[in-house]
Amino acid sequence: MKYQRRTSSHLPNKGKEKDKHKDSINIALAGNPNVGKSVIFNQLTGLSQTIGNWPGKTVEKMEGKLDFLGYHFNIVDLPGIYSLSTFTLEEIVSREFIVSEEVDLIINVIDATNLERNLFFTFQLLELNVPMILAMNQMDILHKRNIDLDFKKLEKIFKLPVLPVVAVHGLGVHQLLEKAIEICHPHLNYENSEFEIPDLSAILSFGKEVEIKIKDLIKSISVDRKSVVNSHYPPRFLAIKLLEDDEEINKIFENHESTSDIIQLADSFRKELEEIHGEDISTVISSEIYNNINKIVEQVLIIQSEKQTKKITLADKLDHLTTHSIWGYVILILVILGIYIFTFSIGDFLGGLFDEGYGIWSENIYSLYGENLLGVKILWDGGVGGLIGAVGGVLVYVIPFFLIIEILQDSGYLPRAAFLMDRVMHTVGIHGKSIIPMILGFGCNVPACAGCRIMETEREKKISIVLTSLIPCAAAMTVVMGLVGRYLGLSWVLFLFIINFSVILIVGRILNKTMPGTCTELIMEMHEYRMPNYNVILKQTWLRSKEFVFKALPIIIILGITLEILLIFNALEPVNLILSPISVIWLGLPTAVGIFLIYGILRKELTLVLLALFAENMGLTLVELLTPIQMITFSLVTMLYIPCFATIIIIAKQTNWKYALQISFLEISLALIIGGIVNWGFILFMNL
Amino acid sequence: MTECEKGEIITVLSVKAGIKAKKRLANLGIVPGVKILKKKSAPLKGPLEIIVKGSSLVIGRGLSAKIMVRCQGQCNL
Repeated sequence: MKYQRRTSSHLPNKGKEKDKHKDSINIALAGNPNVGKSVIFNQLTGLSQTIGNWPGKTVEKMEGKLDFLGYHFNIVDLPGIYSLSTFTLEEIVSREFIVSEEVDLIINVIDATNLERNLFFTFQLLELNVPMILAMNQMDILHKRNIDLDFKKLEKIFKLPVLPVVAVHGLGVHQLLEKAIEICHPHLNYENSEFEIPDLSAILSFGKEVEIKIKDLIKSISVDRKSVVNSHYPPRFLAIKLLEDDEEINKIFENHESTSDIIQLADSFRKELEEIHGEDISTVISSEIYNNINKIVEQVLIIQSEKQTKKITLADKLDHLTTHSIWGYVILILVILGIYIFTFSIGDFLGGLFDEGYGIWSENIYSLYGENLLGVKILWDGGVGGLIGAVGGVLVYVIPFFLIIEILQDSGYLPRAAFLMDRVMHTVGIHGKSIIPMILGFGCNVPACAGCRIMETEREKKISIVLTSLIPCAAAMTVVMGLVGRYLGLSWVLFLFIINFSVILIVGRILNKTMPGTCTELIMEMHEYRMPNYNVILKQTWLRSKEFVFKALPIIIILGITLEILLIFNALEPVNLILSPISVIWLGLPTAVGIFLIYGILRKELTLVLLALFAENMGLTLVELLTPIQMITFSLVTMLYIPCFATIIIIAKQTNWKYALQISFLEISLALIIGGIVNWGFILFMNL
Repeated sequence: MTECEKGEIITVLSVKAGIKAKKRLANLGIVPGVKILKKKSAPLKGPLEIIVKGSSLVIGRGLSAKIMVRCQGQCNL
């Protein structure tokens, strides 16, 4: 089996639009989730990272740059995946990218403490025939367990560079780049020096009967290939995927008449093999791969001490506690409360500082230009006011929120939460992982709905998004606590929560029944607890905040200015009148309140802020302005109705605008219906 | 697999699930013949945590019940 030679003409200098630099190297970081890829990526690219999207897909693309030893590196951190099939968009996007012209080298990051499973993915990558370096990460943890790896043997077996790395301490990372330079720009001594992708048939071969079929398929593909099949994938990869009935690969061949018979050929081969083995083809292939891996691992693992220390570590104890039947749930509630308290205390403090500053400046501006000048109103109140509101009112909460979420994520707590909640989540038609974005939803719905991308299927992603957007975010909580909590007591707050969560449950069950498809089962890797790495956490928090600043904030500011302009020209009065049948008669709220609810689409806490201002203007306290029933209704509507505008945009990005608008419509209706029922329910009850 | 004792080393016999679930499990190492250790099950009849190929996997209860295993020489269904 001859592998395709990659000549130096295929290497770096491919005329990428971005980099005409002769000495640029394009690297893809690939590996399982949680192996430390991001840590390495952070070390290499630092603040030059950008988060974007793969064109046309809802998968995140992490890119960064680095200049090192005179070379310019473009690095893409691919999503953590376990294989290269077509279950998830992440897998499809990754494999297409790797074989595209844009990747010169793969750095396969492997968790050395989890060798067998990681090598399964390595085997998948090897079939793509792209130059590769294996980076064995977490060597420090391996050594702590008195185990070592025979690197020489690994290099001999894989015929590729294998380097040790301890990413969290930054060890071995630059050596990866040095090796990359060696591979991509070999010494100019040799005239035709090329990187020859090694012949790995020794380790990659399956059993004879499978290999024969693969050979035949390769023959068929190679014959027709040049004229019709325009694919970057190596023939052997195509053959294997055809045997496995891979959807996307099938599509390549289905499109042309001359090649559709290859699919039939693959089908018949598959049936033969499945009969011989008594198992479906994926099981056959995976078994064989794991057999090969087993043989390799036996040869390269060096267990240094005879003692098998069965110490129970702190990580074990913590694990036991957080998944305990009782304490597990207690801790979960404490964690959620903790997120709130942490976010609020920091946010309130910093927000207060901003408010004060703005207040002082406002006075200065007003005394200079007067309050009522049009320019002052639009630029200062609307523009700068909007900016300060966005920073002092939103960002100071969002940043501590991201920080604590990253800590939870990096330490390993979140899968435990999924573990505990899987059963409960099934009642609303999704699996345990969905609790993670929902936990995020308690802080802010914007990253929460973005976080729904961890769900594997479209169906679950959609259900997850709806339910997550119904979780009362910190902004909604401000309204509830500031109104009902303050004047009516915590038991009424509990009442509102019960209604909110009942709504989530009911909506979930209805969606579960009406959306096509079935609930996927939870399959999730749960790694050991570990100390969060503060470098990673700070960088991730920074990145997420940057993303929020550039995407959500501008929207908030622009809407703020728009609303301010409308207010100036009294364009909003008629809106109040139009809304009054709903707001006054059905919901029982004072007339002016209709507008505040509209402002709430911008940021939910604005409903309360404006209400308070309004009361102040009228010379009333909030208690005098609203009756208890009105307070309850008002808070309830704020909690349930339409997600804030930034959230709507994120939902549209994750799915599509139609769905985002459907959700908005659904939630407005829900809020109004339930608000009205509550209002009239109380009135009737009072009059009995 | 849901019927085995905690802490036992059990051997996978077969996976009676749909093709997609089977393949996902296979990618993670759960194929006939492999030995796994059942670590714990979640409260409220929740998912199972098992150790396979040296690391921890959590599998939903419904799917776990479809993984046929042999515990201590007995066949389970």
